[in-house]
Amino acid sequence: MDPDAVAKAFVDHYYSTFDANRAGLANLYQDNSMLTFEGQKIQGSPNIVAKLTSLPFQQCQHSVSTVDCQPSGPTGGMLVFVSGNLQLAGEQHALKFSQMFHLMPTPQGSFYVLNDIFRLNYA
Amino acid sequence: MEEEADIVGKAFVEHYYQLFDNERPSLSTLYQPDSMLTFEGQQILGVHDISSRLQQLPFERCRHVVSTVDTQPSAVPGSILIFVSGSLELPEEEHHLRFSQMFHLVPTAQGNLCIQNDIFRLNYG
Repeated sequence: MDPDAVAKAFVDHYYSTFDANRAGLANLYQDNSMLTFEGQKIQGSPNIVAKLTSLPFQQCQHSVSTVDCQPSGPTGGMLVFVSGNLQLAGEQHALKFSQMFHLMPTPQGSFYVLNDIFRLNYA
Repeated sequence: MEEEADIVGKAFVEHYYQLFDNERPSLSTLYQPDSMLTFEGQQILGVHDISSRLQQLPFERCRHVVSTVDTQPSAVPGSILIFVSGSLELPEEEHHLRFSQMFHLVPTAQGNLCIQNDIFRLNYG
């Protein structure tokens, strides 16, 4: 599978899981995973999932505008850079965001998120 | 280790945009033959082509104003991921452009950091 296709498939899976069942993100992170969410640093899958499931909205929908990816080096990792919109239920205007994932291969042939950085884009 | 990455990340970002805004040709010192840049979706490989592309951007002068810098250690020891958002001011333009950019810095044999991966995107309103 070509890297761009892998990146797009990952991004689709990530946001559809986020939007449908945030707790389901747990198996995309491991103990050494790091998330920086609007400047707040969180480490490890349980803490990351706790943060994401406690965000102050029940329902949301991510729509992706751009996905860029590059191989990150000899470890077989992949860097994925996303921009898009985040629509919260009850809000008139969607929020714009950018997010960066560093995916690392697992022995089972899939990927997990080693590094994750999320920022809202204010006008 | 994380605090060190923060310090290094912020220093690198200042240095990068200072060079970009004042001596764009000198950016070539920060890339290597296997560096990759994706600039608004266009993929460019290697210091020579990257440097050419950046020098050919359709403006003589610009100023990057950084709003946020987030840093995390990456997989290989000594390597760092940096995520930047900010504004790009062009002298002829009334409105600033907003951008996001991601750098993956890796240690060189000489003990410096170079840009292995660079992804730049404008953020449209």
